[in-house]
Amino acid sequence: MTRPEKICERIFALAKGVQTETLIERASGALTRFADNEISQNVHNGSSTVSIRFVDNGRTSRVTLNQFDQAALERAVKTGLETLKRQKKDKNLPPLAGPRPLERGSNIFSRETAELSPLYRAQKIKNLVRICKKAGQTAYGTLENGLTSYTVANTRGVFASHLESYVIYDITVKAGSGFGWAQTQAADVEKIDFEAVNRTARLKAAMSKNPRDIKPGLYPVILEPAAAADLLSYLCAYSFGGRFYNEGSSFTSGNLGKKLLSAGLSIEDNALYGPAAGMPFDFEGQPRRRVVLVEKGVLKAVVHDRKTAAAAGTASTGHALPQPDNFTPFPLNLSVRPGGNSVEEMIKNSEKAILVTQFHYTNLLKPLNMEITGMTRNGTFLIENGKISKPLKNMRFTQSMTKAFNETEAVGRDAVLCQVWGKINCPAFKLKAFNFSSATEF
Amino acid sequence: MFKLAVKAIEIADKRKADFADIRIIEARRQNLSVKNGEIAGLNDTVTLGFGVRVLLRGSWGFASSNNLNRHSIELCTLKAIEIARAGAMITGKPARMAAEPPWQDFWQTPFIKDPFAVPIEKKLDLLFKTDAILRKNPRIKSATGNISFIREHQWHLTTEGSRIEQMLLSSGAGASATAISGGEVQIRSYPSTHGGQALSGGYELIETLDLAGNAERTREEALALLTAPQCPSGRKDLIIGQNQLALQIHESVGHATELDRVLGYEESYAGSSFATTEKLGKFRYASPIVNLVADATLPGGLATAGYDDDAVQAQRWHIVRNGILSGYMTNREFAHAIGAARSRGSCRADGFSNIPITRICNLSLMPGNTPYEEIIASTKDGIIMENNKSWSIDQKRLNFQFGCESGWLVKNGKKTILVKNPTYQGITPEFWNSCDAIADENHWRLYGVVNCGKGQPSQTAMMCHGSSPARFKKVKIGVKNH
Repeated sequence: MTRPEKICERIFALAKGVQTETLIERASGALTRFADNEISQNVHNGSSTVSIRFVDNGRTSRVTLNQFDQAALERAVKTGLETLKRQKKDKNLPPLAGPRPLERGSNIFSRETAELSPLYRAQKIKNLVRICKKAGQTAYGTLENGLTSYTVANTRGVFASHLESYVIYDITVKAGSGFGWAQTQAADVEKIDFEAVNRTARLKAAMSKNPRDIKPGLYPVILEPAAAADLLSYLCAYSFGGRFYNEGSSFTSGNLGKKLLSAGLSIEDNALYGPAAGMPFDFEGQPRRRVVLVEKGVLKAVVHDRKTAAAAGTASTGHALPQPDNFTPFPLNLSVRPGGNSVEEMIKNSEKAILVTQFHYTNLLKPLNMEITGMTRNGTFLIENGKISKPLKNMRFTQSMTKAFNETEAVGRDAVLCQVWGKINCPAFKLKAFNFSSATEF
Repeated sequence: MFKLAVKAIEIADKRKADFADIRIIEARRQNLSVKNGEIAGLNDTVTLGFGVRVLLRGSWGFASSNNLNRHSIELCTLKAIEIARAGAMITGKPARMAAEPPWQDFWQTPFIKDPFAVPIEKKLDLLFKTDAILRKNPRIKSATGNISFIREHQWHLTTEGSRIEQMLLSSGAGASATAISGGEVQIRSYPSTHGGQALSGGYELIETLDLAGNAERTREEALALLTAPQCPSGRKDLIIGQNQLALQIHESVGHATELDRVLGYEESYAGSSFATTEKLGKFRYASPIVNLVADATLPGGLATAGYDDDAVQAQRWHIVRNGILSGYMTNREFAHAIGAARSRGSCRADGFSNIPITRICNLSLMPGNTPYEEIIASTKDGIIMENNKSWSIDQKRLNFQFGCESGWLVKNGKKTILVKNPTYQGITPEFWNSCDAIADENHWRLYGVVNCGKGQPSQTAMMCHGSSPARFKKVKIGVKNH
């Protein structure tokens, strides 16, 4: 592909003075998928797209394409400019953003990681399959790696570029009627401990054989990091976005400055540094600010793009999605502050509780109290008298997150990077009461 | 395009691939959205690219690119071969394809009005008009309307000699109003939630939906929900409207009968299924009045095409016949697992850049013979639910919980009061076996699902589900808060 700078120059020249923004996305990714102890799918995809936004005197349009020859660009620009003429003027439409100083952010690119070969992936999977077969277990999962790059530029002088690599190893192991799951991800493959993931999932699978019934009800719960991340990511996406805040459909609306969550809960969004770092600018090329969302249970701030910030009478925090957008700006690089307990200590300190490895198919029911439903999956256990006493069949929960996370009993000391609504680095949590509303058959 | 595509087939043949195919796809999408009186989306997307799939010594490789030329096709084909070879390191049961005749054909979605030829201003006018009606009350804090069109021109060439060209077209639109007041947030959508209605066809669909004509009723229903009482909990007879039934069919029958899931190939992500293969032809999935039919030839269906992405000709078949599990959604790789000589043709990919996977076809509940009014009249203690608001189901597709936008209580054969936040839950076979009445064909409607997620890397697919309203006995309504 031609260099992004050159593509932008060509597009800006074709736009003939109309304010123009380009978002160039390049992705190269490979994924090896395995099931029933063998590789079942094995793919590589390389693609590039450019999305072009025009803003002219209260009118806007966007065209997107994945061909970069002059004729294709000319056709796209012509379509976009033509669309501008076919709409009424919107006096509230802001012009494109001007350039603002950008911090460099973290280096989260490793070429070696982006280019892992299919043989490398197959070898790692083979290692797991070999030990699973020997133990009478069955392995399922994926090993994926690749890179993504974004370039945002506009005719007002914005130019921002970001490149990152990723590797994600995600496995489920079956042992008779037991299932165990584990996952790890990083920008650098050197940080991936494949053996540790294999051990965790295999052990969980063995421990969760012959799961028993338990009566649905209100139980103290220990959420391992992935389970907690699922819920907190939901909470942040629907409650800490500027549009929902402004509309009054978020539990943060009118409540900033109030302590509505447990003192053990502190969450920040930080794309610049730390474990959940990512693109240091938003999709308008504006700097992403570190935003403290929750500090010791007090609701501190929500994230904004330029438009929602103007409506709220504040400044953008650099969280714009590609504009115009129909959802809300929301935090994509969350870090939940760890506490002082290991999961083992939480178990040891529990007279009776349910330990959850992972949730499945979580979905929002009520935005104002963040009532969410979902199922447990791949390792749910009963804790009695400080020990795991038996594996449990999966259960459905239906629970207000604002209530659950206002009754935090302990926070884990080891945070784990997960991907839900963006990145979230999250520890385990012990919550005082969690409503398991029904059961299933396995 | 076929001239370019043949390069991949030549290379795969030379390397003695068991099977290979190349799909070149040129797609155009147009999305328009208006929110609260402002344009919230106006995007015209054109993409072109290809994907090459190679089956070599029983192992799959796939590579794709947006760089469409002979050299790039050669590189991608070699990449797919390299990937397949690496995968062969751990292939226990070599993959093989069920037989299918080679097809040479052109197929296209029937339509009346090309949506891309309709002026942008006409589409925007409709959205702004609808938006203005929706927001004619200050308690409506958010209104959204959207229109979208997708046209895919596909060229598919296989090593078996299939040479298929297809032009698929779909159109969709919807609107919703969110009312907020007194600590309540309530939404009402038309004609259904999650972006509205979509079907295969042209702009004529948008015209028949009449978004603006239905905006006032949608707004008033959202406002009425603000002051409606909470839906009571307990066992009740549940009458489900067509747009909610579409999702019920999708989640608890469609996904449960995707054969790749049933065989465990989705275990690590989307999950598996309770509807295992030894149950085929024997298992009472539903009451005897229930017939669920998959149909890739269904007029208006979003999964309707001449051929699937395995180059299998479109078919119609029963998934549940008279209440008994009778079939699965199959692709060519897994059809043999149920002793089938031929795939049902339910294998599709999301664009050029993804590998084809087993997908839900258009899947519909066949109409019954009871007039809808009679179903209500014969219900003593029931509730009617419409328009999905939330959905969740376990990974074996057993325990589900759905929330709807609105509920109407039925007492002694009469629709009485509107209730807010209705939810229901159940266990799939128990639930479908409680179906005791299905309304007749006069109320049969087809609804589109445009965002069905599955696979890794994640893919979305589109399909339709048709039904008449149906009644289910003694369903658990509401959520028990302990």
